[in-house]
This record gives sequence, structure tokens and C-alpha cells, in this order.
Amino acid sequence: MLKLFSRAVAAAALLTFAQLGYAQQKLTILWAEWDPANYLQELVKDYEKQTGIKVVVETTPWSDFQNKAFKEFTAKGSAYDMVVGDSQWLGAGSTGGHYVDLTDFFKKHKVAEIMAPATVKGYAEYPGNSGKYWAVPLEGDANGFAYRKDWFEDPKEMAAFKAKYKYDLAVPKTWKELGDIAEFFHRPAEKRYGLSIYTDNGYDAMVMGVENVIFSYGAELGDFSTYKVQGFINSKESIEALNFYKKLYGYTPPDWGKTFFQEANQAITEGLVSMSMNYFAFFPALANPATNKYAKQTGYFAMPKGPSGKQFAALGGQGLSVVTYSKNKDASMKFLEWFIREDVQKRWAQLGGYTCNTAILKSDEFRKATPFNEAFYQSMFMVKDFWAVPEFAELLTAANKRWHPFIVGGKGTAEEAQNGLAKDWEAIFKKYGRTK
Amino acid sequence: MAQVQSRASRWWNRAAVALALLLLLVMMIPLYWIGSTAFKARSDATTVPPTVFFKPEITPFIKLFTSRVQQRGDRDNEAYANAPWWEKQVMDGGDRFIKDEKGNIESSGYVSRFVNSIVIAVTSTFLAVALGTVTAYGFSRFHMPGEDDWLFFILSTRMLPPVVVAIPMFLMYRAVGLVDTHVGLIILYTAFNLSFSVWLMKGFIDEIPKEYEEAALVDGYTRMEAFFKIVLPQATTGIAATAVFCFITAWNEYAFALMMTNKVAQTAPPYIPSQLGSGLTDWTVIAAGSLLFLIPVALFTFFLRDHLLRGVTFGAIRR
Amino acid sequence: MTQPALSSAGLAAPRRGMSDLAIRNLFIIPTIVFLIVFNIFPLLYSLGYSFTDYRASMNDPVQFVGLQNYRELLADEYVWANFTLTAKYVIMSVVGQVIVGFGAALLLNRAIPAKGLLTTLLMLPMMMCMAVVGLFWQLLYNPSWGIVNFVFFTEGKVWLSDPEVALLAIAITDIWMWAPFVMLLSLAGLSAIPPSLYEAAAIDRASRWFVFRRITLPLVAPLLLIAIIFRTMEAFKTFDIAFVMASMDETELVAIKLYKMAFHEWQTGRSCALAYIVLLAVLAITNVYVKYLNRLKAR
Repeated sequence: MLKLFSRAVAAAALLTFAQLGYAQQKLTILWAEWDPANYLQELVKDYEKQTGIKVVVETTPWSDFQNKAFKEFTAKGSAYDMVVGDSQWLGAGSTGGHYVDLTDFFKKHKVAEIMAPATVKGYAEYPGNSGKYWAVPLEGDANGFAYRKDWFEDPKEMAAFKAKYKYDLAVPKTWKELGDIAEFFHRPAEKRYGLSIYTDNGYDAMVMGVENVIFSYGAELGDFSTYKVQGFINSKESIEALNFYKKLYGYTPPDWGKTFFQEANQAITEGLVSMSMNYFAFFPALANPATNKYAKQTGYFAMPKGPSGKQFAALGGQGLSVVTYSKNKDASMKFLEWFIREDVQKRWAQLGGYTCNTAILKSDEFRKATPFNEAFYQSMFMVKDFWAVPEFAELLTAANKRWHPFIVGGKGTAEEAQNGLAKDWEAIFKKYGRTK
Repeated sequence: MAQVQSRASRWWNRAAVALALLLLLVMMIPLYWIGSTAFKARSDATTVPPTVFFKPEITPFIKLFTSRVQQRGDRDNEAYANAPWWEKQVMDGGDRFIKDEKGNIESSGYVSRFVNSIVIAVTSTFLAVALGTVTAYGFSRFHMPGEDDWLFFILSTRMLPPVVVAIPMFLMYRAVGLVDTHVGLIILYTAFNLSFSVWLMKGFIDEIPKEYEEAALVDGYTRMEAFFKIVLPQATTGIAATAVFCFITAWNEYAFALMMTNKVAQTAPPYIPSQLGSGLTDWTVIAAGSLLFLIPVALFTFFLRDHLLRGVTFGAIRR
Repeated sequence: MTQPALSSAGLAAPRRGMSDLAIRNLFIIPTIVFLIVFNIFPLLYSLGYSFTDYRASMNDPVQFVGLQNYRELLADEYVWANFTLTAKYVIMSVVGQVIVGFGAALLLNRAIPAKGLLTTLLMLPMMMCMAVVGLFWQLLYNPSWGIVNFVFFTEGKVWLSDPEVALLAIAITDIWMWAPFVMLLSLAGLSAIPPSLYEAAAIDRASRWFVFRRITLPLVAPLLLIAIIFRTMEAFKTFDIAFVMASMDETELVAIKLYKMAFHEWQTGRSCALAYIVLLAVLAITNVYVKYLNRLKAR
């Protein structure tokens, strides 16, 4: 008992010392607990070899990631020198004064030219179109689709499809085609279903899913500069898009009302669906034959076009920011310099990180490296994001509240949902003084 | 037992036992599922339809204790050929071990979290029960001005959801340097369990007739001696029950452990679901981690079972 | 000035050792001080926040807004819906736990073989980590890869995505997990009832129902009530399993709303206000329970 107590006291003392920034050169990066964080930890071993500075990637589960980061910010703590924050945190991070302004850094190192433009807009710039930057795009991500090539290429299926829909069964080029294919493969009696889409309204999953369709139908969430939403989120196209997403929900497996990336992948590995929507970050598990017995028959494609030819993918991914309260800001900036080097970005991609570096993304080497990289490359040039304002979570909650009962619960109409949401968002923006 | 068992009451007895066993069966099914998942190959965990019969492996437990990452690209066949059988099984499952420069496999944080859990739960349970018992005795035997209010205050400390006190608690802990320390969590859990401990022990102590102590006092015992020698032994059922519940609460506590600790003092509950990060959750490892984690608390309860079930059999002085 | 709760026999003879007053203080005051220090600070802090528009993620200057948060919340129809829902859930869950738990205790309160083992096994659900329970039950309820439909012969039934059934599904998980708690406390109470009382009743040829109502129930009531008080308080705080398993309007319990408000939307001030409203509600309900408990004890 005494030994345990003294060990506990020693631990407390050690922690206190560590908090005093006890001489050792060490940088701490906070990220969520998932494979890319493991890849990053491997990547930074190179940095240690080259400079002698140890970099530690601390992780915490996704569900707690935002809390941990912002609690530390609230306490103005220096436990983390850098954080790989979600794109939506840019607003809170920058206006809250938690992130170091990287605009000069971007200018000096021409970061906006090295990284894919859409990623710079999505992961780094806030407010929209302001030219101020707060994070270096680290992990690119977007929504894409995985599909069962063998089902698509089965001659019997192809013949039956052609007979019914009058065009060839192939990777869908438009959302309408995607809907047809989902309907065609939806056979509950055989325990086979059309597709899997995101429906988890706990945070942002479902909203991201619906975004793909809204953007591709040519609608906008609102005007990102003036914060006007009437006529945008409840435009004709937007209502159509929401209706379409609900139609797709009808082709999902049973009890599919709260699904995110796990269920999306499980739907493919258990052979339930013909297509599954998911973030590219989660596709390595599908490409691995040991974890997906259909790996060799799984193909991938990027978001299809909407009726008017527009094509967008919902933005995921995170950027690397320097924390204002860090005691090692200079060392962190040097790390950023190292990170954006092309050879480092190449190694990052090799290890499994989703680089945003334009040159590497375009390279054949990258596009052929995995079955899904090609679709990923295509997606990264058409990504579009949700609102990044500090109150984005309230906007998410409102969207969840309007959309989930309609899509999953079958209540009300798309028009009512979107009109209601426009009112909700207006109220929120007014509350925070963004509109009069 | 001097009771004459009529045929009717024996029938009732058997029926009761049958019902109890049926209940046990139903309650155990989810547990059986979790337990069996801990021994399945990764691909058997979430099959459609569910796999009831399977070939058991211990791969999940190997994975539980080691640091792994998903295999990207092609497997290193040379390494595979040279690997021991258990590493082969893990590679079959689609992962590879993370090895340091010398080629040794890095261990996962499970063992250290497990040890932390033991240290923190045992200490905080001991403190909560000890403090709770003496406080309950104080409230039971002595008059305290406003005692109903004090007791209600103690109860109310347990009413607020952790989310609300999270930020002030975190700030407070940060200010005194208790974040991510064993001492910090021990204090937190003790405080959390005290309300329950006081109330439950008071419930038990109230049942113990005061006449025993008074007889002892007449015989020349001090109040303290009476407490230790007369009351405590009779309160063992209560103490056992309180200890079990406090231990279970501290052992399984998730919210505060997640918020207040990082690497040094983190307990197992926030760690076990950490498999959720990769694209395909490895349910077998989560099940294995949960199964192992269940063992100490189950053993603790099992060892105390006689004390839990013993009643007051001292004779018939009743109020 | 009321009399201390001791008989005259105790006071008559002069005693050595610590005085009763000293012991009382020694035993009670450390606990109270400890609890005050560790609970009062966060409670007051939160109370303070509830009167402001503080947002923990921003460094904006905090503005005092008085009762605005409270007024807004109490006028919000969504908040009332949450409350009604939570009340429904608490009743479902606690009643279920009492029926199953107390029932199990009644069954086990006799001389049966391996009683200790049986009791420990029945307590296993309660010993599982709550975070993991929610995750696994989510798998169990899924019609494709879960076994709930298998066991109950309800092929293809949708549990967690069905607004009508989802709350019940979560309550079932809660009951599965916590009925053992009620069981154990009831068992402890039941086993403390002297057999002599039952024997006397048997001699008087009392009916089973009479025995239950007049002997068993009153004597086990104090402990049973403590179990109910604590389970009710905990049911109001239910967050983990509900959040993990189902996230619909029909299952948004107050604790989930609190979490979202505090940690997704970072409306720290407002969430504290909501928490205090919930606290007052729980205080009121618990007060009723406790008064009833005191009345029982006084008899």
C-alpha cells in the first residue's frame, strides 16, 4: 500500500516537473486516436533522426478529441504544442486566439501553391476568402464510395439492369444513376441491400453525407461571406437533394438509422450492400484482404455529378496548427517547415497519410499506390466544406434536428425541413451578430 | 432450520430455483456473446448472420497487449515466414506489429492502464468505505444539528451529471497539478462514492440495535471500543455490499477518467474502446480487453459473497 | 435543545476515552469538509457560469446575463420534450430494474445450492464497463449481425432506428445492467429478516400474501428505497449508453442534450443553466423519496 502511494506521489511530482518544461526538447502533437495518428508517429521519427528533437503524437478517442483540445485551450495550457484540428475548428481556433496565425508562414513558404487549392481553402483559411491561414493541411480526406465490382461486372446482373433501366451497369456518373443502381440491388429477401449512407446524427456524419448531394445538385448551404441562408439552404435544388437522400435511405439495410464509418465498412465486409459511402481515411481497411474478404472485388469511385453537372465531395480531414499557449512555438514552426517539404510529404503518403501536396497527388506513383488513391485524387480537387464558424456545432445540431426525423423517421416533407432549417440558421447567425 | 418443509413449499422452492436459472440464462446471453467474441477471429465477429459456432483463437489477447497498425500495401512475406505462430495469426488478421529499432514488439498501454485501475479503484474504495462507515455511524448514533439537511447535501453531491462539473473540475485540477495523476483520480472517486457509502452504511447501521453498544458501555467499554468491537463486526454485510458497489463504480468509471487523465494515470475504461479509430473496429480486441477487465471485479465480489449474503443472525433483540 | 439519541444507561456511568461529542465530530466533519471542498467549488463555478454567456472555446469577454439562460431554456419546447422523455425513460428503467431485481432477490432468498456463485454470476452485467456495454448492445440489436432478434424470435425487427422502440431498447439494456444492483441490496435486506418472524407467521397460518405485505416488504423497504433513490438519480444522468446506441429526437435524454450543448456547441453558460434546472428537478423528486424513507424508519 505504501509503495503504491509513494509511486503515486512520484508520478505527481514527475508530472509537475514535466509541466515546468523541464529542459528536454520535445514537441507534442495532439490528434485523434486512429491509424493516421500511428502513421504520423512513425513519420516524425525521421524528424528526430534529423534534428534530435523528439516529437510525440498524443492521441485521444474521436469522441473526446474536441473536448480535450478545447479544455486545454480554455485552461491556456501548454500540454500540446501543436494540434491536428478538424477543419470545422478553424473558426473557434482562430477567433478564440488558440491558433497561431500562419499567414506569413504561408506567404514565405508558398504553402498555398504547394497544397491543393481546395484543401487550403478548407483546412487552412478562415474566415472564408480572407487570405488568413491558421493550419497546414496535414491529412486530406473526403467522402467517396466503395462498391462491389463483382456485382457490377456480373453478366447476369448487367443484362437485367440494361433491360430495366436502358443503359449499361457501370460506376455511376450521376446521382440519378447511383439511385437506380441502389434500387436495382436492393433485395431484402436475399439479405442484400442497395447501399449504405451516413445517418448518424450524433455529430456531423449525416450532415456530411447530405452535403455531398446538396452541393452536387448545385445548391449552397448559404453565402459564406454574408451569412445569408434564405434562398440557399431552402432553394429548390436543396429541397430536391434532401428528398433524394431520403430516397437513398430507403435502399439501406434494416436498422440503419445511426450509421457512420464502422457500419459503412461492415456493410461491405459482410457483403450486405453494393455501394457504401465513407471517408477515404477508412478505405484501407476495405483494401486489406485480411480484414475484408471481398477486398479484391471492392472498387472505389468519387462522388458522382448532380443533374446540372456539378460535382462536389464533402470535406473531411484535418490541418496542423500551432497552439498559441505552447512553450515551443519556434520549434513548432520549424517542424512545420520540415513537414511541408516534398520529400517528407512523399514519405507521409507512403506511410499512409493522406497528403494534400498537389504534385504528389497528381503523380502516377501516388494514384496507383492503392485501389482508392485514384478516386481520392479526383475528390481532393472538388472538396467543399460545411460552415467553419465558431458556432458550427449549433448549426450542425439544427441540421441534425431537421434532417434526421425526415430522412430516418419519415416525418414531414423536405420543404418543411429546409425552410425550418433556414429559420434556425438565421436565428443562430443573428445571435452571434453575423447578420443584422 | 426448524421449519417443516411442506410439499407445497418444496415445490415453490424448486420453481424459484428454476426461475432463477432461467433469469440467469437470459442475463448471461449478452455476456456470453461478449466473452465468445473475445476468442473469435476478427472476421467472425460481425458476420451476417451471427456466428455462433466458431474456431476459438487467442489472437485477440495477443493484439490486446501489443502495439499494432493496419497493414498497408503488400505484406512483407519474408517477415511473415520468419515470424512465430502468434505473429502470423495477427498478420493474417490484417495488422502488423510496431517494432522499435531492436526489433522488439512495442507493448500497448493495456497493462499499465490495468495496473492504474487496480491502484486507483482499491485505494478510493478503501477510503470511501472507511470514511463512509464512520460518518454513517456518526449520523446514526449521534444527533447532529440539521442532520437531515447534511445527509441530503451528501446525497446531492451525486446528482449532477459529470459533463457539467467537467470544466470547473478540470480547471481546478489543472491549477493544483492533479491532472493525469493517480492521487487526483483517487480523490475524485472517493468523493464520488462517499455519498453512496454514507447512505448505504447508515441504512445498515440503523438496523443494528443500539442496545448492544449500551450494554458494552455499561460494561466499561469506551464509545470507540464499542464501535470497533461491537458495531463493526455486525455491519460486515453492509461493509461488504458498500465495498463491492464502490469498487464497481470506481473500476468502471469512464467519463472522468477520460477527461482528467492522459498517459500516466489513465485507467482501462477509456482505453478499451480505443480500437474504434480504424476503419474496421476490431471487436475481438475490445471484447478481450473487457473480458480481462471483468475478472478482478468478479473475483472481488465472489470472495465477498458470503459476507454479502449473511444477515443479522445474532439473536432476537428487535426494536 | 433535543436530547442525544442515547439511553440513560450510557450516560450514567463516567467513561474514559473520547467523549461522544468528540467522536461525533471526528467521524462526521472530515467527510463533510472533504465533500464541500470537492463539490462546492465546481458547483458554485457552474452556478456562476449559468448566469453568463460564457463559451469555453472562445476567449470572448464573459458577460453577465442574469436569468436569460434560464428563461430561454424554460421557454424552449425542445427542452420540455427532453424532460418528458427523460422522465419516461427513468420510470421505465427504474420500474424494470425493481421488478427484475427485487423479483430475483425474492427467488434467491432461500437455501439453495451454490447461492453465492449464482448471485455473483447474476451480478456480472453490473460489473461491466458502461462504455463497452453500450457499444456491444448496439451490435446485439442490429438485425443483420446481432443476436437479439435471434433470441427473441423477432426476425428482422428494427430496434434502435425505430423511433417507437428505441427508448425501450435502451431501457432494456439499462435494466439488464442495473437490476443486479437492486437485487443485491434487496437480498441483503431480505436476508436480515429473522426467520423467527416467518416461523411465527407460519404457526399462525398466515397467507403468503399477508406475510409478504406485512413482514417482508416493510422490513426490506428501507434498503429497497435506497436502491431506488440511487438508481433514479443515476437514470436521470444516463448518457453513455443512450448516446452510443441511438441518437434520435425520440431518445435525446437530458444528459445527452447537456453534453451536446456543453461540448459540441460550447455553450458553457447555457449548459450550466440547464444542468441546474435538472438538478432542481432531481432534488425535488429525491426529496419526496427521502421523506418517505424517513417516515418508514420512524415507524
